[in-house]
Amino acid sequence: MADLLTILSQASTSLAAHREAAAVAGQNIANVNTPGYSRQTVNLEALTPDQLVPNGFIGRGVDVQSITQSRDAFLERQIPNAIASQSASSTESDALGAVSALDPDAAGGLSSTLSAFYSSLRAVAQNPADPASRTAAVSSAQALAQSFNRTSQAVEDARSGLDDKISGIVNEVNTDAANMASLNAQIRSGRASGAEPNDLLDARRQLQDKLTELTGATPVMDSQGDVSMALPGGTALVSQDRAAQLSTLPDSSNRGHLSLRITRADGSGPVSLPTSAAGGAIGGAISARDGTLGATSASLDSLAFDFANAINSVSSAGFAQDGTTGHNMFTVGATSAGAAGQIAVDPTLIANPALLAASSSAAGLPGDNTNMNALIATEQTALASGSDPETAFSNIVASFGGASQRAQAMSDQDGALLDNLTNLRESTSGVSLDEEMVNLTSAQRAFEAVGKVITTTDSMLDTLMSLM
Amino acid sequence: MRVTDRMMFENAAANAAKSRDRAQTAMEQLSTGMRVVHPGDDPTVAASMVRGQQTIDRMAAITQNAARAGDEVDASDSALQSLTDVLARARELTVQMGNDSYSAADRQGAATEVDGLMQQAVTLMNTNVDGRYIFGGNKDQTAPFDTSGNYSGDTAVRQVEVAPGVLENSSVRADVAVKGVGGGVDLFATLQSLSTALKTNNGNAIRGSLTGLETATTQVTTTLSQIGAMGDAFATAQTLAKSTSDATTKSVSEQSEADVIQSSSQLALANSALNATLTAAAQSFSLSLVNKLGG
Repeated sequence: MADLLTILSQASTSLAAHREAAAVAGQNIANVNTPGYSRQTVNLEALTPDQLVPNGFIGRGVDVQSITQSRDAFLERQIPNAIASQSASSTESDALGAVSALDPDAAGGLSSTLSAFYSSLRAVAQNPADPASRTAAVSSAQALAQSFNRTSQAVEDARSGLDDKISGIVNEVNTDAANMASLNAQIRSGRASGAEPNDLLDARRQLQDKLTELTGATPVMDSQGDVSMALPGGTALVSQDRAAQLSTLPDSSNRGHLSLRITRADGSGPVSLPTSAAGGAIGGAISARDGTLGATSASLDSLAFDFANAINSVSSAGFAQDGTTGHNMFTVGATSAGAAGQIAVDPTLIANPALLAASSSAAGLPGDNTNMNALIATEQTALASGSDPETAFSNIVASFGGASQRAQAMSDQDGALLDNLTNLRESTSGVSLDEEMVNLTSAQRAFEAVGKVITTTDSMLDTLMSLM
Repeated sequence: MRVTDRMMFENAAANAAKSRDRAQTAMEQLSTGMRVVHPGDDPTVAASMVRGQQTIDRMAAITQNAARAGDEVDASDSALQSLTDVLARARELTVQMGNDSYSAADRQGAATEVDGLMQQAVTLMNTNVDGRYIFGGNKDQTAPFDTSGNYSGDTAVRQVEVAPGVLENSSVRADVAVKGVGGGVDLFATLQSLSTALKTNNGNAIRGSLTGLETATTQVTTTLSQIGAMGDAFATAQTLAKSTSDATTKSVSEQSEADVIQSSSQLALANSALNATLTAAAQSFSLSLVNKLGG
């Protein structure tokens, strides 16, 4: 038979269960804005009866069977890829969008100094003996050389800026990977105690998302419940409870820009990490640095190199005002590497604009402009690269612009996909205050009702006592 | 779909950010007047802006050069026109003094005038435009004719660009025009021999120089017609360069400049979308069970 004391003890178990339900609702409400938090649900369970009364069983109240997280494995599997590509494309798009040296309308840009250079040569061609036109032509050649230098420098600066970004990310990755490895260990020991360590799982999921965002690594779950992270190409960034370490090294074959190295999770290395093994923000930064910006820098170099050589070969064939020949207009290195950064006007020409070779023969001095007309003709003559200087430069602008536009479009698209997925994940795992208020209120009402059971039982006990 | 509080806040923030971004773009286009600032805004247009700017600058340089060359051609024209006047006066004197009724003293006086005409011709052929002697060929820094009419210039004809890659003569060969190189007469020698004939009172020689003077006049007028053609070429070059430049400017503007009306309506649209987003967000934020449950 159900004695009154049993009812009391049953009520106290139930009180505890409803208090726990209220506490979980409280935890959910408190974490309504916590990034990465998954709402928790209390699963109540009626306690099985152990008392047989003459006509049946009477239960022993209610208890908390488990506290689970609401998560959707299907969505969560898609999210890492979306994060990695969004992060890569937005890093690349931001980096390219910030380069203004190739703006078509930029004052003092390569486009305007190139045409100003040829305009000043035209003025010399009209009156080769006029010292004022010659001085103006030499200054505009200097302006052109400096414009090459500045444009190339701006592109290289953008590349160095990405290096800074890469080393910043590498530090972050190392910290996060180490934290994730230790979370794997903590979660394992948490589970050994029998319950799901929900908040540790949330923390790990957040690190997992962050590592994916930074490196493009994808999570690999194993049977023990550890989540390892594999970089694109398979190298482990986190292997169970051990983490690899990324580091950077200036690469002399790439103008001293940083290359990635990895000390593996087993402690071996460091070995160099191929760029294909880096995704996410690092991958985006490397792709912007060595892809679009690297190609732009190299095209500027080859334009500067070909242009200087084309001008020099015409210039050196002509005759200066003093009857000498063989004067170059520009100095540039022996190869195209770094040419746009090095190109300068020949110092002897700066010192003496009369050395501008306008005449094609010593006999034609001082009025002959045939060689100057030949110099002007280089404007429309294909360089070694196959197109004339102006077209070559407009091609550089077009291909840089195309890459920038593509990165922007990719970034928008990846961003929309990621927003959609995170919205869906939030829909499953996020906290709704309305729901939690309902849960809280229902726990409160149940708690009050169970309290009522206790006072009722108490008065029943009183009744019994007064009989004695 | 289950909608959580965080979703509401984040969506409101994301939508407001999108509207603000659109408004910002429209605002930038309106205030700069440009649709394409970064090559990524429109790569094709950015490249054609670069090429267009080059064309505009090139045409400006060509216009300027053609104008300068045109000035020199005009100066050549007026110098040679004056030279024909000099020759006409010389012919007049020759015809007049060819009449043997004139005395030696009369002819002596005429000789003095011819000497003056000779010096006038030398001065005309030493015309200097902006520091350069236009009849000296490439030897344009020193006077090409001395007082006795000896030529120290060369045979070069200068050429100036009238369209990209197209050159047009901007000077004439003075040795052909007045020194008779290539089968003509030497204008100065003719004047000198006229002067000598007058001084020596040689009636036949005086009458004999008329043919030479007429040939010299023909030579100069032939050169004048060449100069006229050059002047036309430079005038046409300036007009063409100007119209090419205008057409390019127009096409670059059409491609790269913002349509003010379109940008304005985009700005208005983005602003009203932003307003709607903010209003909706504010309303949905205030709706929560938390506010409805009495403590």
